[in-house]
Amino acid sequence: MTSALVAHQITVHYDRQRVLDRVDLRIAAGETVGLRGPSGSGKSTLARVLALLHAPDGGHVALDGQRLAGVRHRLPAAVRTRVAILFQSPRAATDPRLTLAELIAEPLRATGTPREAARARARELADLVGLTPDLLARRPHAVSDGQLQRACLARALVHRPGYLLCDEATAMLDASTQAHLAAVVTDYQRQHGAGVLLVSHDAALLTRWATRVVELPAGGRPTG
Amino acid sequence: MTTTAPATTTGARAGRAPALLDVEGLTVRFRLRDAVVHAVTDLRLTVHPGELLAVVGESGCGKSVLAHALLGLLPGNATVTGQARLHPPAGNPVDLLGCGERRLAREVRGRALGLVPQSPATALTPVRTGRRLLVETLRAYGHPRRDADPAADRLAVEVGLDPADLDRYPHELSGGMAQRLVTALALAPDPPLLLADEPTTGLDRPLVDHTLDLLRRRCDTGAAVLLITHDLAAARRVADTIAVMYASRIVEHRPAGALFDAPVHPYSAGLLDALPDRAFRPVPGHPPMLTDLPPGCAFAPRCERATDTCRTAPAPALPGPGRAACHHPLGAPA
Amino acid sequence: MTDLALPARLRRPLFRPGIVLASVVLVAAVAACLAAPLLWPLDESAVDLARTRLAPSWAHLAGTDDLGRDVAHRSLYGLRVSLLVGAVAALVAAGIGGLVGTVAATCGGRVDRALMRVVDTIAALPHLLLGIFIVAMLRPSLAAVILSIGLTHWLSTARIVRSELLSLRTRPFVDAAVAGGASRTRVLTRHLLPHVLPRIALATTLMVPHAVWHETALSFLGLGLPPHLASLGNMINDGQRSLLTGAWWASLVPGLLLVAVTLALAALTGRWRDRLDPRVRAELHL
Ligand code: SF4
Repeated sequence: MTSALVAHQITVHYDRQRVLDRVDLRIAAGETVGLRGPSGSGKSTLARVLALLHAPDGGHVALDGQRLAGVRHRLPAAVRTRVAILFQSPRAATDPRLTLAELIAEPLRATGTPREAARARARELADLVGLTPDLLARRPHAVSDGQLQRACLARALVHRPGYLLCDEATAMLDASTQAHLAAVVTDYQRQHGAGVLLVSHDAALLTRWATRVVELPAGGRPTG
Repeated sequence: MTTTAPATTTGARAGRAPALLDVEGLTVRFRLRDAVVHAVTDLRLTVHPGELLAVVGESGCGKSVLAHALLGLLPGNATVTGQARLHPPAGNPVDLLGCGERRLAREVRGRALGLVPQSPATALTPVRTGRRLLVETLRAYGHPRRDADPAADRLAVEVGLDPADLDRYPHELSGGMAQRLVTALALAPDPPLLLADEPTTGLDRPLVDHTLDLLRRRCDTGAAVLLITHDLAAARRVADTIAVMYASRIVEHRPAGALFDAPVHPYSAGLLDALPDRAFRPVPGHPPMLTDLPPGCAFAPRCERATDTCRTAPAPALPGPGRAACHHPLGAPA
Repeated sequence: MTDLALPARLRRPLFRPGIVLASVVLVAAVAACLAAPLLWPLDESAVDLARTRLAPSWAHLAGTDDLGRDVAHRSLYGLRVSLLVGAVAALVAAGIGGLVGTVAATCGGRVDRALMRVVDTIAALPHLLLGIFIVAMLRPSLAAVILSIGLTHWLSTARIVRSELLSLRTRPFVDAAVAGGASRTRVLTRHLLPHVLPRIALATTLMVPHAVWHETALSFLGLGLPPHLASLGNMINDGQRSLLTGAWWASLVPGLLLVAVTLALAALTGRWRDRLDPRVRAELHL
């Protein structure tokens, strides 16, 4: 069995516009792949395809040697939770009704972990990402972007995923928070041998953080 | 009614031109039911014609409130004290905090003091196309009707937007396109001072650089820009001067080159060390809540150089190569 | 997005004179309706032919009608019936609309198209006519009127629920829930519906005045509640007979009551809608 998350010949169209054209990408366990490319090159789309959230129009994704048929709810929860994704905007990626504690514990609750156990794990992860306990009772509107992205990282790690995809996850954050989140991800990766994908426009960040960088050529008309 | 700025606050550029914006002791508080938010504390800064000043800090340090306070756009539970004077090259000086909403709305906002807002989606009227918004803005600021359309196209190109995209409605634009549209709208009246509040959110690197260079070019032709950003790399690319903000205060305010080469305030130094092309090491600890600032230096709990003296608040930073708001600045014996 | 995260408490002033007035009217109306059977019981069949069409006086605050019944007294009971019918009918409509909207949005494809076709078809027919048709098929009764209103007023709710669900479904926080292992049902019940519920509640409350007017119209046409039952529509209808003899109060008093209460309700829900509107909320972010 090969421990890798692999995109095979992925093709995606939006309204007849081709954003990805037979793209291959392989993220092996333990490595950090940087992904960069001009705007409109479909970097985020590729990340969503790899996160098993978007069905490609051609090609397929293979997880640890197993070819996956379908995306989202067509896959069992145990498969979906092997891959976690972190988005650029933590506000858009969080349900404004939940407190940070609930937010972090939610994936565990969703897969049947009892409330107390889920809470305890949420507290543990909050500590790992550097969220102080008093923040856990707050809802997203009462914390800053940086604090919310920390909560999102905690949520992404809650199932101990084998692969973590960061789609411009630190682009909105200040340098210190970015460096801290990078350190948390790197630690996690070392402990669990996880594969990491970094989608970023920041050459300095990729040089520093990624073990190798893949350039995605423009697949369609460049737009913002 | 106004006096020229005192020599001590004009700092590095004293003698070149009078300050365009002169802020002295600006303090903003928000009253909440059970707490007070210390959003901006005793802030001083000056912006000169042709200067690009970047205010950098992490999210939640109060830097965005600064822009809103200058524009008189704070919610009703805010109290603002201190002084902020705008000296437009044409026209009378304006006391931004004291002149009242009517004068701000009629003479200042847009015309003398432009704003590129942080979240473009809420700043655009959903029922008008970009072109109509832009043409209306141009005409409202005295552009003749005949060439408003070509002028709109020119502005679109200038901000990196395809003129064809101007005919779309705001909800049909991507976040980055909306951001470029609000930038064009802010540039339309050609204000002598532009406040840009995270103007590159949602833009790709090439567009970020494009927008930053656009701001830079404005300054090179004599206008001034106050750029509010979390992005040190952006500030390094275009700013003349940088003011580092931490927990509601400006802690260091110096020419960009000097700050990047040899930061004086321990927080500035920590922030620079966090850059991926430097140590990539986060500043230890967490910023304090603005509702619950420690007495004395707010950075003390995270500062390696802290001593007992730091329990009293250091004197505020002065613009220019002068003082940083620190008892034990770097470069001086600890 | 927000630099300084401020609590959502920073909101516009809650109390404005119009809102206060509307609340007072509504609270008074509901309290009077609840208290009426205890304090001032009504005998629906009582008539007093010796005291017909008396003008308003201290003994009869709103006069009496052509059968000698106290208009103020009956109006109060009429309001009771009308509000009850309005509220229950609005709930029925919300239930149907919520269900149809949810099924359409979650099943998608052919089911969605078929359901929306039904909605469009019903929407093309005149409400009142359809309502009349439905009561005419059943016997005039409280249940028939409620059903008639419920079956004709669920369309907007169905559309709102469907479009809200469809737009919420594409949001990254739903992606995050799916990636986190949440089942279809959990995504729907925990992450989607809670956001739609306030909208449904709002649509329901906005519908109450509609439903009250619909009931009044049906009763006015003689197709609504059984004639002995004091509803505002019945009373306005009965009052017509007295109008020509100059006894204006028999129609006007229940009419004014209807207008006042439904306007108050509409004003309050309008205010609520403003507060729910994301554009209004977005202004409050710095
Ligand atoms: S005043 Fe003291 S605690 Fe504050 S930054 Fe300077 S040395 Fe550190």
